[in-house]
Amino acid sequence: MSTQPTGAPAHSAGAPASVELRGITKRYGSIVACDDVSLSVSRGEIHGLLGQNGAGKSTLVKILIGLAQRDAGEILLDGRSVEIPDPLAASTLGIAMVHQHFSLVNELSVWENVTLGEVGRPDAQRTRELVRSIGARYGLDVDPDARVEDLSTGERQRVEIIKCLRRDPSLLILDEPTSVLTLAESRELFTVLRRVAQDEGKTVILISHKLDEILTATDHVTIMRSGRVVAQRVTAETDERELAREMVGRELSKWVAASALGDLDALVDPSLSSDPAMLAPVEPIHEDEFPFRLRITDAYASRDGRPLLQGLSLDLRAGEILGLAGVEGNGQQALGDLLSSLIELDSGTVEMDDVVLPTGKPGAMHRAGIGVIPEDRHQSGCVLDMSVAENLVMSTVGSVARRGFVSRKAIRANAERLIEQFEISTPSPDTPMRQLSGGNQQKVVLARELSLNPKVLVAAYPTRGLDVGAIEYMTERLHDAANSGIAVLLISTELEEILTLSHHIAVIHRGAIVGQMRRVDVDAERLGLMMGGQEA
Amino acid sequence: MTITSTPPTPANTRAVAQTSRWSQVLTTLLLYVVSISVALLIAGLLVSLTGASPWEAVQAIFQGSLSDAAALGLSLDKAAPLLIVAVGTCIATSAGLFSIGQEGQVVIGATVGAMVAIYLHGPGPLILVVTLMGAALGGAAWAAVAALLYYWRGVPVVISTLLLVYIAYQVVFYAVTQPWLLQESGQNVASPQSDIIRNDAWLPRIGEYPGLNFSSLVVIAVLLAVGARIVLNRTTWGFRLRMLGLNPKAARRAGVSAVLLGSLALMISGAFAGFLGGALLTGGSHRLQPGISENVGWDGLLVALVARNNPILAIPVAFFFGVLRAGGGFLASTGVPRYIVDVVTAILVLAIVFPPAYQYLRREIRARRLARALATGGAA
Repeated sequence: MSTQPTGAPAHSAGAPASVELRGITKRYGSIVACDDVSLSVSRGEIHGLLGQNGAGKSTLVKILIGLAQRDAGEILLDGRSVEIPDPLAASTLGIAMVHQHFSLVNELSVWENVTLGEVGRPDAQRTRELVRSIGARYGLDVDPDARVEDLSTGERQRVEIIKCLRRDPSLLILDEPTSVLTLAESRELFTVLRRVAQDEGKTVILISHKLDEILTATDHVTIMRSGRVVAQRVTAETDERELAREMVGRELSKWVAASALGDLDALVDPSLSSDPAMLAPVEPIHEDEFPFRLRITDAYASRDGRPLLQGLSLDLRAGEILGLAGVEGNGQQALGDLLSSLIELDSGTVEMDDVVLPTGKPGAMHRAGIGVIPEDRHQSGCVLDMSVAENLVMSTVGSVARRGFVSRKAIRANAERLIEQFEISTPSPDTPMRQLSGGNQQKVVLARELSLNPKVLVAAYPTRGLDVGAIEYMTERLHDAANSGIAVLLISTELEEILTLSHHIAVIHRGAIVGQMRRVDVDAERLGLMMGGQEA
Repeated sequence: MTITSTPPTPANTRAVAQTSRWSQVLTTLLLYVVSISVALLIAGLLVSLTGASPWEAVQAIFQGSLSDAAALGLSLDKAAPLLIVAVGTCIATSAGLFSIGQEGQVVIGATVGAMVAIYLHGPGPLILVVTLMGAALGGAAWAAVAALLYYWRGVPVVISTLLLVYIAYQVVFYAVTQPWLLQESGQNVASPQSDIIRNDAWLPRIGEYPGLNFSSLVVIAVLLAVGARIVLNRTTWGFRLRMLGLNPKAARRAGVSAVLLGSLALMISGAFAGFLGGALLTGGSHRLQPGISENVGWDGLLVALVARNNPILAIPVAFFFGVLRAGGGFLASTGVPRYIVDVVTAILVLAIVFPPAYQYLRREIRARRLARALATGGAA
């Protein structure tokens, strides 16, 4: 088998590989998304696909599930060359995928979601049985009659996986499956995957950019960079340092190494790492030197009778980064919206430097000096159909205008200054925002918010969906912002990110803060308990 | 002037070669050629069905609209009202509000204008100005009802503005059938119309028949279009308005109050239509009649649609529609039924609106097919 790449499992020498890709190449215009990619996975194996955003992982998987067509190369399943023109064909061939974002109907029950897409009359009893039997077989415990909207994120993912497994696929692909899970849920997931692979003899491909989960969960790993396979390893024979170096192509700076690469254990206990100094926690700031800036007291808010915030209180000091940890959907969005004047409080107050701010009044928070990098930059952080220059002055258009007329010169000068200062990569200031990469769109939002010299900066999931380079950049900027005296509220579900940056850590659960601790006192267990809603 | 459609470009196809952009332009052009040809063919068939010759119909349209200075003036006269409605529409649409009640606002504007012009005493030019201002306020107030319903109770603007048109029709009919209100005085046969307004308060005309002559409304319309473009694209107010229209959530974060700015945009759009109602009164029929609007409120929407909410582009588009209106009137006088003229106009509008709609639908359908394949394929 001379065509087998170096990373091919040794024990498959006799039987053909379950999945084999040979020389897959895919171009989008002049960009080569996949360049001569070869890999092979044998039956019963969990294979990691590691790489930054834009490394070509998604394209490769799209080709496997029939969402994209390769320009060159060959796909072999069990030694047989196949064509995968569309997702239906992929399904027929036994390929199933659990996407990063769930496609569930929240208002329906679990079994109804499982039966969606079926032709013919739904059979409730049979589907319920099916959900239970798959659950028992793989350890995916979920109540078939529960409504999806009442489930936790981890449970929802189980439903997604059941949806795939019920078709009894031979190849299961998971795309960044842990990005929405708590630590405990991730570990459960890996146990399930182990069963899927070993006990049921299925093949699993796990796409991730997190090193520790690749190291824990996989047997072999293929590392991609700029569309190419740069290394293939037996997981047991490699370590995080090597993986990181291969993935990024260079050594990473202190600020990202741990958070971007998902090395939680080393963050909590630096002595576990090969380079403890690199992972040392942020020193606490001298609290008496820095005054309280923003103070939220006993905030209650609701929408359509559904509670969003339930007595949330939070204090933010100048020069401090407060990391708000918590499982997604526990009021983080409402807090961000509150500080962007998007929602009004039913009761409670928001004070800036001891002055009470009106809530829900357009622009009020902004004028008081609160800059926000919203969690969804597309939906509310920028206007995609306006130019980069226009996006950079969205809230301060008055400053580049004279007598109500916008000065094109001023708007351009402002844009050029910020583009240089924040290293935004754009063809020109007049380029529509839509054409920028995610990382650069995020830089535009950051540049705009910081250019207003805010007293408080709220950064909600600032690195979500960004590649390592961009994460490094954002992380450093947030750190600099705090150093310059800005009070930073970092909202994130990525504990690694919070641990890397924060002086203080607060945990949000069901719309209230359940606990707070200094970064130096962090204890992973306690943090986990609090994220699960227990006072600890 | 090529109208190209630029679909959103995902980041990873940013570098797609120029060639595909050219082929896109070519496809778009081809679509226009095909759809207009088909429209002309259908129009020709329809005209033949009525027993007239299609070629003679084309000649009649030309003769009535462009053949000489007087005809050209008529085309301009027909185009100006459409342009004013269209420009007002552009302003509301920029704020993301789809108001389609301009027809009603025109009628209300004319009614308020008639009251001012008939009951107010003073020097003629002053009466003219106050009449037009009153008409604009009337239109704005009519639009304000829709704004109130939307921001207070969430009634969709499309629905409320549409229904308000039919209320407006009833209002004007009521006004011109009540002797104590606006009905023509001193007539034995009570007709549903007002007195003629005093002739020193008429909107002046430029030029003399048989030379080029047209209403001063033409000049006003062009100035309004240019002004609207400048306000929308160059002022902070226009900037905020566009931001609101393109992304209300981001606009709110940046301190834009949707209620205030949106209501204002809707009312300005109504003021344009109301002003036009006053202008039709003082520059056209000189008396209030239920049919005073001649459907300009509806056709103006089409102008804005075809011009893709660009006030400057609306100038030539409005002129094209003006030509059709003027030529259509002449065609009707040659014996082709008036409704056929309207049908032909409608077909031509469809032909112009079809290509972008088709391209949009094709993208949607593709995306949907993919989504369906994903849902049933178990890959999702």
